[in-house]
Amino acid sequence: MADVKFSAEDEEFFGKVGSFGVAKFDGVMGGGVPRGFTIIAFTQTGSGSDLFAKQFTSPAEEPDNTILISTNEAQKEIIRVYEKYKWPLDIGVRTIGEEYNASVLERDLLASRYRLEGFQLQDIQRLAQTRFVDTENRDFLTEVTNEVMALGPYYRAVIDSMDFFSQRNESSRIISMLRMLQAHTQVMRGILLVTLSAEGMPPGMKQEVASIADMVLEFKVRTIGTDFETSMTVTKFRNAPENLRILVFRVTPEEGITPETVERIA
Amino acid sequence: MMPTSVYTRDRCVTGIHGLDEILRGGIPYGSTVLAAGTCGSGKTTLAMEFLVRGALAGEACAHFTATEPSVKLLENIRQYSFFDMNMVDSGLINVFDVDVLYSWLGLDKATFDLDDVHALIKAIVDIVNTIGVTRLVIDSVTTLCYKIKSEQLIRDFLFTLGKKLATLGCTTVLISEITSATENAHWSSFGVEEAIADGIIVMGDVERMGHLLRFLQVVKMRGTSHSRAKHAIELTQLGVMLTPMLKWGASSDRTSRWGA
Repeated sequence: MADVKFSAEDEEFFGKVGSFGVAKFDGVMGGGVPRGFTIIAFTQTGSGSDLFAKQFTSPAEEPDNTILISTNEAQKEIIRVYEKYKWPLDIGVRTIGEEYNASVLERDLLASRYRLEGFQLQDIQRLAQTRFVDTENRDFLTEVTNEVMALGPYYRAVIDSMDFFSQRNESSRIISMLRMLQAHTQVMRGILLVTLSAEGMPPGMKQEVASIADMVLEFKVRTIGTDFETSMTVTKFRNAPENLRILVFRVTPEEGITPETVERIA
Repeated sequence: MMPTSVYTRDRCVTGIHGLDEILRGGIPYGSTVLAAGTCGSGKTTLAMEFLVRGALAGEACAHFTATEPSVKLLENIRQYSFFDMNMVDSGLINVFDVDVLYSWLGLDKATFDLDDVHALIKAIVDIVNTIGVTRLVIDSVTTLCYKIKSEQLIRDFLFTLGKKLATLGCTTVLISEITSATENAHWSSFGVEEAIADGIIVMGDVERMGHLLRFLQVVKMRGTSHSRAKHAIELTQLGVMLTPMLKWGASSDRTSRWGA
């Protein structure tokens, strides 16, 4: 990887750490997330990780160098959340789930229609004029990797979530993609957050993913009586084990995710 | 006593020089004919001329190409003066790429099940029915059947397809790729095509004085009497030319005659 030159002006502006997007979290983590860190968040359904992923982009030091890659949500839904919390709307947003529906599922639907209802005259005329198969078998994993790799110094990127890719790709591809992104983030002093469901993941894979990350978060949800309690556990913080914490958080209409209590685990 | 009138089936006049004479007027309408031949024996050219002659007579024709892309097929066939690209452009000859058809039907997979086979039959029959195709070529049925793993399913596919096309009055040429065209060879790759077809035309090569000569032989044609002699094929600029072969001229004939 080529050497990247950072201007003194940028170094001063961006500093050594970037915000998590949650002020209280920055406070207990020594000011924020160190530049060059790759954060892996292992998630549970309903644990608030989707909201945290969006909130993580909200500092958007450079909006055009900040991107949210969502695999589950639609553009409209994301905009609604950003408007609700007054987070910047001028960042880059890519909705892989929508793109997948548009390209792959639409084709499957059309194939079902042809099989069920048959060809109309105009379909036949078009078929007779089509000489090549539309081989747009999109490799979303490569596309997303390239998109993040194309970001400049001090970028901020979120991939929420990696589950979409792990369901469609070999785990070795996912691992090598994460390694590339981690190296790129380090060189570019970027900040990268990748969410990944821990449910059903083989222990070996989880261990390997965690070893690549500079910081590992675990989002959990449990029931206490009739209430839900959501928590975020920092299980790895490279070179700063004193930062390992359990943070119970709630969601407020003003601030989004807000830690309530902080518990040291190391 | 008054002579009884003999019923003769209507013919699809192929227009190929010599072939209609062999078939005593042409292929009986609605027949499914297996054109089985070795590599380079002239199957595609013969089939394309069959369509061109039909198009010249105002018939709607269709060609499903599975062995080579249609772009390549059309480029190769353009060298023959009997072929006019306007026939394709004007929709008289409709050339379909089978891989495109597969992709449209969601059949771009390694093997076909019963539903897939039915979808394929329905698509071909739809096309024939909608544009009123009376001459159809599938090049090749070997490639088409390659994805159907069960012999029974191949049989069902060919039988159902042939029956439906016959009902629509469509004369069909199924091209079959074989590795040998000698007397002991099978006329098809899967062994079931030849049993289902109404007619079998075999094409291959015979060696004569160090040269490979192409030959054509009508082995079977239901609904008409026909010559069963081997005929030499020449692929000329004007089209396929068939001429009777001298009986003892070919070395492969001699070999089989004396059982060597």
